[in-house]
Amino acid sequence: MEIIVTNNPRVRDAYSANHEIHFISGDFSCVLIAARDLIHKGFRLLTHPLSGSVKPNETPFKSILLCSGSGIDLPSLSMIENALDACRKFPIKYPEMPDAMRDDFSLIDYTLFSSAI
Amino acid sequence: MKLEVGYIDIRDICFADSSRLEDGVLYLDKNALSEIVLEDKNISKVEFEIAKPGDSIRITPVKDVIEPRVKVEGPGGIFPGVISKVTTVGSGKTHVLRGSAIVTTGKIVGFQEGIIDMSGPGADYTPFSKTLNLVVNMTPVEGLAQHEHEHANRMAGLRIAAYVGELGKNAVPDETRVYETPSIKEGLEKYPDLPRVAYIEMLQSQGLMHDTYVYGVDAKRTLSTIITPTELMDGAIISGNCVSACDKNTTYHHLNNPVVHDLLEKHGKELNFVGIIITNENVYLADKERSSDWTAKLAEFLSLDGAIISQEGFGNPDTDLIMNCKKVEAKGIPTCIITDEYAGRDGSSQSLADADASATAVVTGGNANELITLPKLDKVIGDLSVVDRIAGGFNGNMAEDGSITVELQAITGATNEMGFNKLSAR
Repeated sequence: MEIIVTNNPRVRDAYSANHEIHFISGDFSCVLIAARDLIHKGFRLLTHPLSGSVKPNETPFKSILLCSGSGIDLPSLSMIENALDACRKFPIKYPEMPDAMRDDFSLIDYTLFSSAI
Repeated sequence: MKLEVGYIDIRDICFADSSRLEDGVLYLDKNALSEIVLEDKNISKVEFEIAKPGDSIRITPVKDVIEPRVKVEGPGGIFPGVISKVTTVGSGKTHVLRGSAIVTTGKIVGFQEGIIDMSGPGADYTPFSKTLNLVVNMTPVEGLAQHEHEHANRMAGLRIAAYVGELGKNAVPDETRVYETPSIKEGLEKYPDLPRVAYIEMLQSQGLMHDTYVYGVDAKRTLSTIITPTELMDGAIISGNCVSACDKNTTYHHLNNPVVHDLLEKHGKELNFVGIIITNENVYLADKERSSDWTAKLAEFLSLDGAIISQEGFGNPDTDLIMNCKKVEAKGIPTCIITDEYAGRDGSSQSLADADASATAVVTGGNANELITLPKLDKVIGDLSVVDRIAGGFNGNMAEDGSITVELQAITGATNEMGFNKLSAR
């Protein structure tokens, strides 16, 4: 089973018809943590958690595709922990982000994610 | 493959009634330039400016930097598959308008990239403070979608570069160099005792604003393949990447790749430069596995004794870098990787988002998180309002005196992962 973990409404709306969506009402790190928890439960990553050269916490949005497996996938675990480490290096850059900019970040996350679907 | 490159040194650049190149001075007709840009109906307005080394000018947000070149003899034309027909390039004769550059700017998304300061402390961090720049500042038609805007901006820059390059077709070069790479068989026969070394060039390929094109093909849709050094010099690879200014490879970088030039310099003396493996940096993990498998397979196929791997970008390309490194090393081929670091503002954090014990040789382009204060300059070309939204800028980073404090990642080319920068710890 494949599952999309995202806090991006654009991704949720585009893929909810034919994908399992785990929608997160939280920031970038909350999505990583939710993905990590799924990995603990046996899921493995299909997309890289740091996709895009837009930095964590610069963009508020993150979408990750995982699939169910058996047992803990150590490469996925290592990748998500490294992503969490990287995320901690970048403070949230725009606490009050203009709507137009938020929309641009949402679009970038959506297009990068779509390139993997 | 053999390419003769004639370098025409550009001494000055100015606007004039007609476009021409005379005695190393580029005269450019703004009307002719405008027509070239505005032939794309998605661009509503264009302004041209000249920025020279030492000027009190800040250019931002920079999208691409392109060196004007023209094919003088031999098959194909410059930027094959994009501006010229898709014919294989890299042989014959090419002229380079050395010391000049086309810089494109225009706000594509609300957060944007890239500062070039032509003077002051920021100028030391970007190689494009040393070039005579024609800046092309474009405004799109209202409501244009971001991906169409990026395409329009990218193509206009290449068209302008091709037009300016054409002015040098009949000029007499100040310097001529011949670059030649033998076939596999010729190389083995000619240099049987020299170590066989290849360059593995990683291309950013993740999606909108994160793309690279090879002969016009979006690199994310390619498998790892082999390309010759001289094809790069004729513009076989162009940049569609406008994110992460400090470590993105502009089209100028691809044309002047320093790893390629250094390996050619040592070719036949210290080593046998076998060729270049290009490989992508996709989002999907299976793509990463496939591309790095193919990279290692090609490295083995070429019977390499060593490989240099350069990365583009930050974050998930670290994973491609490490996959390439460890899989090539596992074939018994030593590697050296070139990257940059996001080690936090104090430099104490882990530099890369991935690692492996076999990555034992690394060259760094510097710490992109390091802070720098850029004083106010007299003139801004582009849009300074985006500076606090540039990667590496932050809210409230502009002081009352007009100076701005940003991380090095905001400066175009500051920590380039081909090593195309002037600063060194040596």
